[in-house]
Amino acid sequence: MRYLWWLVRCQPWRVLRGSLLGTAWMIGLSARPYLIARAVDDGLRTGDTRALALWVAAIVVAGVGLSYLGIMRHRTMTFIREDAKARSAEVLLRHLSRIGAVLPRRVGAGEVSTIGGSDIDWTAQVLTLTGPGVGAVVAYGVIAVVLWSISPMLAFCVLVGVPVVGLVVGPLLRRLERAESVYRRQQGALTARSGDIVAGLRVLAGVGGRDLFARRYAARSQELRAEGYRVGAVNSWIDAATVAIPGLFLAAVVWLTARMAVTGDVTIGELVAVYGYVATLIVPVWFLLEGSHQLIRGRVAARRIADLLNVTPDDVGGPGRRWPDSTPEARRPEARRPGSVPEARRPPGPAAPDGPADLHDPVTGLTVRAGSLTGVAVNDPATAVALADRLGRYVVSGVTWGGVPLRDVALDEVRARILVADHDSYLFAGTLRDILGAGADDDDERIGAALRTASAQDVVDALPAGLDTPIDARARTLSGGQRQRLRLARALHREPEVLILIDPTSAVDAHTEARIAERLRTARAGRTTVLIATSPLLLGRADLVAHVSAGRVTGTGSHTDLFDSDPAYRHLVARGSEEAYR
Amino acid sequence: MSRLPVADRATVRRALRDMISRHRRAVGVVLALHSAAAVAGLAPPWLLGTIVDRVAAGAGVATVDRLALAIAGCVLVSALLSRYAQYAGHRFGERAVAELREQFVSRTLGLPVSVVERAGSGDLATRSSVDVSTVGSTVRDVVPTIVIATVQLTLLFGAVFLLHPLLGLAALAGLPSIVAVTRWYLRRASSAYLTEGAAAAELTETLTTTAEGARTVEALRLADERVRHGTTRVTLVWRARRATLALRTVFFSVVEASYPLPVAMVLLVGGYLLARDMVSLGAVVAAALYLQQAIDPLDRLLQWTEQAQRGFASYARVLGVGMVPPEPPGTTASSPGERLVVRGARFSYSDGPDVLHGIDLEVQPGERLAVVGPSGAGKSTLARLLAGIDAPRQGVVSIGGCPVTDLDPAERRRRIALVTQEHHVFIGSVRDNLSFAAPDASDDQMRAALATVGADWFAALPDDLDTPLGDGARQLGAAEAQQLALARLVLADPHTLILDEATAALDPSTARRTERALAAVLSGRTVIAIAHRLNTAHDADRVAVLADGRITEIGSHDELVAAGGAYAALWRSWHTRVDER
Repeated sequence: MRYLWWLVRCQPWRVLRGSLLGTAWMIGLSARPYLIARAVDDGLRTGDTRALALWVAAIVVAGVGLSYLGIMRHRTMTFIREDAKARSAEVLLRHLSRIGAVLPRRVGAGEVSTIGGSDIDWTAQVLTLTGPGVGAVVAYGVIAVVLWSISPMLAFCVLVGVPVVGLVVGPLLRRLERAESVYRRQQGALTARSGDIVAGLRVLAGVGGRDLFARRYAARSQELRAEGYRVGAVNSWIDAATVAIPGLFLAAVVWLTARMAVTGDVTIGELVAVYGYVATLIVPVWFLLEGSHQLIRGRVAARRIADLLNVTPDDVGGPGRRWPDSTPEARRPEARRPGSVPEARRPPGPAAPDGPADLHDPVTGLTVRAGSLTGVAVNDPATAVALADRLGRYVVSGVTWGGVPLRDVALDEVRARILVADHDSYLFAGTLRDILGAGADDDDERIGAALRTASAQDVVDALPAGLDTPIDARARTLSGGQRQRLRLARALHREPEVLILIDPTSAVDAHTEARIAERLRTARAGRTTVLIATSPLLLGRADLVAHVSAGRVTGTGSHTDLFDSDPAYRHLVARGSEEAYR
Repeated sequence: MSRLPVADRATVRRALRDMISRHRRAVGVVLALHSAAAVAGLAPPWLLGTIVDRVAAGAGVATVDRLALAIAGCVLVSALLSRYAQYAGHRFGERAVAELREQFVSRTLGLPVSVVERAGSGDLATRSSVDVSTVGSTVRDVVPTIVIATVQLTLLFGAVFLLHPLLGLAALAGLPSIVAVTRWYLRRASSAYLTEGAAAAELTETLTTTAEGARTVEALRLADERVRHGTTRVTLVWRARRATLALRTVFFSVVEASYPLPVAMVLLVGGYLLARDMVSLGAVVAAALYLQQAIDPLDRLLQWTEQAQRGFASYARVLGVGMVPPEPPGTTASSPGERLVVRGARFSYSDGPDVLHGIDLEVQPGERLAVVGPSGAGKSTLARLLAGIDAPRQGVVSIGGCPVTDLDPAERRRRIALVTQEHHVFIGSVRDNLSFAAPDASDDQMRAALATVGADWFAALPDDLDTPLGDGARQLGAAEAQQLALARLVLADPHTLILDEATAALDPSTARRTERALAAVLSGRTVIAIAHRLNTAHDADRVAVLADGRITEIGSHDELVAAGGAYAALWRSWHTRVDER
């Protein structure tokens, strides 16, 4: 609720204008029945041509005025909703990009896409209440006064009757929506199936089975059709009821008014006008019912947005998580719950080493010499990932950097100087240039150098517009090997002081791998690079190789030394082919 | 990339006519019922007009009671009729949509793989999701609304004509401006709304991917970049929304300003006619009320026209899939032998330069051939030619003396299986995921196949073969998915296997497990393995080195190492120390 209120407060004048226009438009709706009634009474019945012409002119002018009010209301309300959506999207985006590595563990990607897609819309939709919602209340009052002047008894019937009709019909419509939503869910599942078939088309082409899938899909489709029949049978009754109930109410009002006309209590023109008012009154009443429903849904949506905004980064120890106070969420009270003390206020820790320094991991006993290319052969991938997490400070650990505990160094500085390039790091959508050089304004020359080192020039050359070719998120159109080389090029392009690469060439053919190993050595000469891999082509180029087995370093030396002296190492890097070779 | 075709307007119209004539009776019933319902719905204003006349003539309460009761009766009859009309329409819509989507899927399944690959599966995926459901909701929801509105409008204006032809003509006076502005709007609306939808989807995707790649955002310090990227998307959405809003501003203000015109004209003309006693006061009142009543269906008609137009465009794309000639049935039903022979095969992708320059290759039944070479050398292309997915531009690829592309596709897939690094777990049970490769396989055979490839995770599944997989159910990891694919192969039992870097996308330890599973599948079959790991090459009977679309070296591992060519150099760098020993 507070979040909704914040969205309103961000645009006070626009909201005020929306309320005024909404009110004016809604009242204007009742002008036409009144004018038609006057034209009938004063013009047609009396045969007064001038009065008729006058009232008809008024009808036309009122129509133009009403259309102006209507469109201005629509424009203002659209701007209000769009402003709210844009604001929500920006706040969310800022927050999402700062939470960091912990996010996927706390919130599912599906949830973010629901929040980003529909919740933002639902929240914005609530703001409609500020315009037509306010207008509806006022219009209802105005029509009440007019009706009262015709006949208090009629006014009473209409003013109570219309909301009652609304309350009867409203739940019916909800029910309709529910029945539809079951159908839509099934339909979504069916669509997912046809998408599944499209996605697996190549597999089906590889081993066959097309007929079976066509039959299976057809069976599901027929089930959906049967469900559609059921929904249709119910829905058509509900639909008929929603038309019949207001219609019958209108008939009752006409009957009541006509009897009063017979006794002379109302004029014939007023009889026609009452008919019109009742029809017009449906609009504000409808808005109010719809609005209350929107409010319920919008509050749920707003709460989910607020919950996401309250997700805080993990405590990975130490100071220096910058949490800029300038972003809107920091101004929102929810963001400052007790317990989530802005970390920037913690006292600064000991200074990080000024220049390149050794990294030491007490868990495995691994020491990474500054300025060298260190190979780490780990037999268990989970150990490898945990090691990289410790060296890159994604978890709290006892790793030291030039003797300083890494957990005490400002996190921003760690991120800036030590880069862990994951095996499956994410590739965002954008042009290839964006993907590789994101964040840095830079020339193609450095990008070209990184591409060359990663042996990924052919990936760029094969694309229709080279570096300017747009690529999907996750680069799904590229092969596994191409993606891997782009990830490597991206990491190299950053030129971090310490680069930790995890299996950077596992999906690349041996020729290319050999080339990458060679170039990597040259490109990173003099800088600290950790190569966590089991490929002899890569390890053979390292200055020093550490063999980690069962979580501890069991041997260090050059690749050739280890290969000779350590059978477990030999077995690991030769990937079991050694026996065959003997 | 050559996109999939889109049907032209004439084809779409013909398809629509076919659909209607197939359901001729249903369509007739729906129209008749809706017309009847609309006629009953016309009575209340007319009855109100009668009340006005009678009361003006000094009629009593009894007349009013009777007429008011008649109004209520008409409302009920109209509601009943429209219920049945809607139900009939709904059934027709459901049937038509079901037909349409089933046809789409069966056509999609009949598409030649090469066409799909060249068009990119994204296009087809959009058609199968967005377009099919757009056409579906158009047929199911939009068309009925339009039909009802049209019937109501026809009858309302017809009724005004019946009251007096001159009143009818006057009523039409307000329409030209509406027609003109609608045409103007429709010409621009669809593309503007599509742009808006695409922009909104991109913004959502930016949010979602930022969340998915949160660790990468932190590692590469991309936060500012992501915010900048997102802000651009927000601006684009805002701009697209403004564009559609501008269209609506013009459209709705003209349309709404035009709504009172028919009423005004009828009142003016009515006054003139009334003065000459050509119509009754009641008739003029009824005509005015009819026209007031016509605003609602007119509004609905105009609002949904744009949707209908979009449905039409989607239908054109759905039909377009059917215009691709389906995969030709082979001329030969079964292959006489198993010997794979390639003679002078050249190949190029759609008029591009040749990727393969005259490949000559013979693979004996039961032989294991490894193909190695740098990326871009044409290894995958060769695999596709061998599997018969593409036909060589020149030369021939034959199995047992019969060109592979002449084989019946179903038969060919059963005999020569292509295994790539792509694996896909279909939505459905484990059984669903296996049975399509061998429809006759028993449950025990399936379990045995899973055991053969070392899929030990299977034992832990709660519902055995009936455990649902994929999309919201149990997600398989890459290695598990690849094992499932291999179990499928065991069941399909092809005599020839073509492995195109089947384990390349897996991390090394997973790859190792998968390779062990693979070994179980390979025994007793002809295997052509495109390899990037040299130990695979080492284990093969023969190794072919492919470079720049040519086979530069071929022979057993030992022969090639002894020959001292490119392969030998690579092998030495792989196994430095061992070689020197």
